[in-house]
Amino acid sequence: MTAAATTHETRQAELKKRSSGRLMIFGFLSPTLAILLFMVAYPFFSLVYYSFFNFSALRPEAGMKPIGFKNYAFLLSDPELWDRFVFTGKFVFLCVALQMLIGIFVGYQLQKNFRGRDLVFTLLMMPMMLSPVVVGFLWRYMFNSEWGVINFLVSSAGFPKIDWLGQTNAALWAAVIADTWMWTPFIILLATAAFRGIPETIYESAEVDGASAAYTFFRITLPMSAPVLFIALILRLIDSFKQYDLFFALTGGGPGSSTMTVSFAVAKTAFSYFYTGEASALAVILLLIIIGLSMILVRHLGKMGEKY
Amino acid sequence: MVPRIDRAVMTRSKTSAIDHAGRWLLFGLLIVYTLYNLGPIFWLIISSLKSRMDLFAMPPKLIFTPDFSGYQSVFGVGAAAGTASAVGVFDSLVNSVIVSVTGTALAVFLGTLAGYVCSRFNFLGKGDFMFFVLSTRMLPPVAVLVFYHLMFARLGLADTRTGLILVAIFANVGLATWIMKGFFDGVPKEVEQIAIVNGYTRMYAFTKLVLPMVKGGIAATAGFCFIFAWNEFAFASILTTTQAKTLPVKISAASGATGIEWTQICAAGVVLIVPVLIFFYLIRKHLLMGMTFGVLGRR
Amino acid sequence: MAEIELKNLSVEFGAFKAVDDVSLTVKDGEFVVYLGPSGCGKTTTLRCIAGLVKATSGDVLFDGRRVNELSPSERNIAMVFQFVSLYPHLTIRENIAFPLKARGTPRAEIARKLEWVTGVFKLGDELNRYPAALPPGARQKVALARAVIRNPAVLLLDEPLSAIDEQFREEMRWELGHLQRQLGVTTIYVTHDQREAMSLADRIVLMNNSRIVQVGDPDSIFLQPVDIFAGQFIGSPSMNLIDLVPVDGGLRLADSGVTLTAQRHSLPDWALKSRRKLKLGIRPLNVHLVEDETGAGSDIAVDDVFSVGRERFFTFRIGDTIHQGVDKRGKRAAGEGRVHFDPDGLLFFDAETGRRVVAEERP
Repeated sequence: MTAAATTHETRQAELKKRSSGRLMIFGFLSPTLAILLFMVAYPFFSLVYYSFFNFSALRPEAGMKPIGFKNYAFLLSDPELWDRFVFTGKFVFLCVALQMLIGIFVGYQLQKNFRGRDLVFTLLMMPMMLSPVVVGFLWRYMFNSEWGVINFLVSSAGFPKIDWLGQTNAALWAAVIADTWMWTPFIILLATAAFRGIPETIYESAEVDGASAAYTFFRITLPMSAPVLFIALILRLIDSFKQYDLFFALTGGGPGSSTMTVSFAVAKTAFSYFYTGEASALAVILLLIIIGLSMILVRHLGKMGEKY
Repeated sequence: MVPRIDRAVMTRSKTSAIDHAGRWLLFGLLIVYTLYNLGPIFWLIISSLKSRMDLFAMPPKLIFTPDFSGYQSVFGVGAAAGTASAVGVFDSLVNSVIVSVTGTALAVFLGTLAGYVCSRFNFLGKGDFMFFVLSTRMLPPVAVLVFYHLMFARLGLADTRTGLILVAIFANVGLATWIMKGFFDGVPKEVEQIAIVNGYTRMYAFTKLVLPMVKGGIAATAGFCFIFAWNEFAFASILTTTQAKTLPVKISAASGATGIEWTQICAAGVVLIVPVLIFFYLIRKHLLMGMTFGVLGRR
Repeated sequence: MAEIELKNLSVEFGAFKAVDDVSLTVKDGEFVVYLGPSGCGKTTTLRCIAGLVKATSGDVLFDGRRVNELSPSERNIAMVFQFVSLYPHLTIRENIAFPLKARGTPRAEIARKLEWVTGVFKLGDELNRYPAALPPGARQKVALARAVIRNPAVLLLDEPLSAIDEQFREEMRWELGHLQRQLGVTTIYVTHDQREAMSLADRIVLMNNSRIVQVGDPDSIFLQPVDIFAGQFIGSPSMNLIDLVPVDGGLRLADSGVTLTAQRHSLPDWALKSRRKLKLGIRPLNVHLVEDETGAGSDIAVDDVFSVGRERFFTFRIGDTIHQGVDKRGKRAAGEGRVHFDPDGLLFFDAETGRRVVAEERP
């Protein structure tokens, strides 16, 4: 083959590659983009639009009265909304802290190879595989103050029975215990994956270098798996922030409205009271917070990845 | 400066007693967690077999005559066959299967295509696209539901399986794209380059060479999407009223005039977890790989 | 100070014996190279000395003290691995200082040692960079710096240069040898590259199939291989091996009309009388090109000649087998001349056991 023919063919191939590449980008991305625009962007802008109206989906014939920022003004001046945010914040903080702590600890133990590891691992993942509603009902059943198994264990241990779902603080803890039960396995899964991604020689190296187990864990294992653990943190932070199913089944927002998360409040406003305009405004606020939060976190994740 | 050479054996810096105690403490903590983790599952299973009377017995019974009425009503067989609630529960099980299987398949299909492009090409706005895709995973369902509720009614999608499938795709395609991108990142670019140099098209390289290499990844992605689609509650509870109800929605309604049907809920919970459990066990190896999202792939 | 002794060391992985009954004493300050093909057990032996692998039976002794049960961090060793094992999330400075920090060394001492070691390895400019930003050669240099900063009593090196470019490898090899002599640290080095072994070692331990084949200084291993494996594994190009058939007054090279005679090749008496089947081993550098067949040359014609630098490589054929020779560069062109075997370079091996035979043992 002559040199000229080679360059010609290479150029042909190059051209073909470039045009087929563009076609591929377009063809492969457009369906996903289309469905997401239709299911996310369109609803988002419609929500913003509705949030400026006094409007109920139950009585569309009553029409839509434009009221400007009144929905927002009403919501933001409502002390109840702040209560919701405070409660959601407490819930998120407790859940994420407990789940990360336990998840990283158990994940670290599970990365070691032992017999039956796969089976133990699969069994421990079970809570995560359950439907959140089932989880809610299951814990509600177990948390029952009269005939629940948890109070049976509590009183057998010599402590007074706790009215788990009837008291504000106890109900918060009940929700945290249930959510932590369900989602710690997720952290375990990600942490194990991250830990096992660290090459064996790195550990051997640290061992030869005289690092103790604790020093290795804090100086090698944790920082090296930080990007994945951070993803886990982001996902849990946002998931628990928007938690709805669990409260629906476990507490129903009660006692009173003391375990009402922001998500739950949106659902209640929209589908129990049918204040569609107000619910839209609340949904917009919730969305903005979550989008802002995730943008900050994802940017931080990007910086983390650049380092090495 | 040439340093002095030390002795060949170092003195033990830690006493073995502390070491020993620490190991037992770790082991103890693991046991406590395992009890916390598996206890409720155990309780779910035995409660699904209890009769109404045994359910509320105090102290709780560990030995009792099993009662299968919960399972009978989930599958619409035996004594419960023909009763109004049983028929509904079985129908909702069918709905659940159809919606989650179809939704998962389509979400994984689209996510595979998008993940491949995101792994291999640089295009304008790629970072924004990736973020947008991920952000859909972060949206609170109730927020978009306020509008879906209206939109679905207008489009005739309310209370249909098609509508729920659409939701399942939307809710999972972002996650599928990200996980699949991680798996594609693990396939060397040379695979396609060699094929293209040899005169094959990129499409051929993708379908015949790259796809078979990420089979495990596709299975893992499908596993994850399936868990979410199968257990989805918020969307289904608002967007369905009668016909298209899925099992999680149906059991949430099992709190009728006679109180909450705990046995039925627990039986449905067991039925719901079994397929996921089997699936999970089969793909566990790939799942661990996929869960690093390619973040650690460069090592 | 460290003298290492291995006593009947065996390591088994399930049914597979990775190290089989290895005994050896490494003297204080000695540079010992474990050499052998991949999978021969040399790396496992090294990892056993490091404490990363537990011995199935036998003992590892440091200065006469049994250390089998001690963890790597309790043995005063440092190790460099084949594949770069720098901590990717730490800077070069943090990497090098890691072994000191891990043991809680005072900050001033860390700074002092860091200065010394960066001077030795000329790493001053790289200290604040991350490993990913460095070429593989420089990374391995950092790994070496990290290994010696703690003044280990024993330095263990597992093919440290195999992942590095040829050119840089040469330089690193020289530096390594220099450094080891300067520090006087007992060093065990594992490699499959015989040239590395020959140029670095005080003593070479040649391993094959999980066992030690031969121990000796580079010269004796090269000149007096104990068996066919040792003869062929060391030296490049590899030693030629030719079957011998006893004939009247000499030994005939199998599948050829060429006979080595006692007179022309000064064959030892016992070889002529030997009743066992023998193989002839001759290194290419003991095979020469000669002008004509009247001299000491054989009747074997040269096939092909090609020159590299000052050397001239040539091939010749006996039966179907192609053999090699090396000579200094001369005027001769390809296809000419005859092959001469240097009588001093003739090695005889037992065709059945593969052992080298130096004199006939009495039956």
